[in-house]
Amino acid sequence: MPIGAERYGSRADTLAFIACLVVSLVVLALPETLRMPISAALRRTVLLPAVALEARASASREERQNTILLRAQRDSLALDAALVPELEAENARLRALLHLRARLGTGFVTAEVLHQTGIGDALTMLLGAGRNAGIRPLEPVVAPSGLVGMTIAADPRTSVVMAWTHPDFRVSAMVEGGKIFGVVAARRGETVGDVMELRGVPYRDSLPTGTPVVTSGLGGVFPRGIPIGTVLGMLRESEGWERTYLLRPAAHPAQVTHVLVLSESLAADSLEAAFDTLAAPADTDAGEAP
Amino acid sequence: MSLAPPRLRLAAVLAVLLLAHLWLRPTLFPGRFAPDFVLVALLFFAVRSRPGAAAVAGLVVGLLTDAVTPTTFGTAAFALTIVGYAAGWLKALVFADNLLVTAVFVFAASWVRDLLELAASNALRSGAVGTQLLVVSPVAALSTAAAAVVTLFLFRPLLRSAPAL
Repeated sequence: MPIGAERYGSRADTLAFIACLVVSLVVLALPETLRMPISAALRRTVLLPAVALEARASASREERQNTILLRAQRDSLALDAALVPELEAENARLRALLHLRARLGTGFVTAEVLHQTGIGDALTMLLGAGRNAGIRPLEPVVAPSGLVGMTIAADPRTSVVMAWTHPDFRVSAMVEGGKIFGVVAARRGETVGDVMELRGVPYRDSLPTGTPVVTSGLGGVFPRGIPIGTVLGMLRESEGWERTYLLRPAAHPAQVTHVLVLSESLAADSLEAAFDTLAAPADTDAGEAP
Repeated sequence: MSLAPPRLRLAAVLAVLLLAHLWLRPTLFPGRFAPDFVLVALLFFAVRSRPGAAAVAGLVVGLLTDAVTPTTFGTAAFALTIVGYAAGWLKALVFADNLLVTAVFVFAASWVRDLLELAASNALRSGAVGTQLLVVSPVAALSTAAAAVVTLFLFRPLLRSAPAL
């Protein structure tokens, strides 16, 4: 609908327009000395709330932009901070490796564990060093805390490790001091990598909880004295002939990131000094398996 | 349909436009092509009022606008007086409810306002006047027209049948 047709401009409107036009021209013709005080007076009075609101809006926009910028900076810092514990842990592991390296002297290769996805990673591990670095099959793989497994294949640049969690893994073990011997294997039916079994312990011998178990050096693969785990308790007795004990592993394959692959030349040696496993067995009470 | 008096509804829409000019424009459109919500308010008022009232409104709005740009004090008053009066006079030809007509109307008013301000500020001899009138002013007028269309679309029930002042 064409609005206002009935309200068309009258003479009064024309006069008002002319008056307004004259006022605007007068304002336009004002000298600079009068313009500034008038405009300043308007800004200080009528326009004060409007100018304040506009200033607040501009500040709000600036704050929003600053917030976006700060959020981006905070996210970057959070990302960096999230990496700090991992870096600290890795630093500690590397320091431990260096300490072990110093005590081992020669006859080993350091390698990084290339963890893979899937459940197979808990049984076998891929190392970032291979035949070119001197790694061969059937060589012991250790972490600073103890035994991890042994190599079963060596490619030029990578190698495969059978972790102690593998069902086929066995290692000859002894209680520190060489008084009691047995065979250690992963405990079947348990969560992979959680616990292991010490089998074949003579019935006449009992192991207190907390007793350290190390490699015995028998078999020609693992040197003597590498920590395997500590006794958690007796698991079962086999008709009065032998006992089986539950062990808490010294090293969890899923948690290691760097390992040492010991050379074949060390197989006949004793690493008890390197791993500090010369101490007497822990003097604790015997306990049953949970 | 709102039960408020038509003049109150128009005043509410004008207040919203004023708030948009003071708050929304600096927040969302900080550049030189920002829509001029005050001009939209003036035009909405002008097409719904007598030409004399529109001229007075144009003068007042122009003076207040000049107060924040004192170096060209009086130019906006001059330009908006003419634009306001013309808008009030042209209302006989304007279909105020039509979005397209409103857009063209506001675009033209914004560009003419800039032209008048340039003339009043003695800037027509400036070398940049071509860029101002052919590039900057049309784009700014376009954004102002878009703001007018959005406002009309949102508040059409309130603006319909607003009386003459």
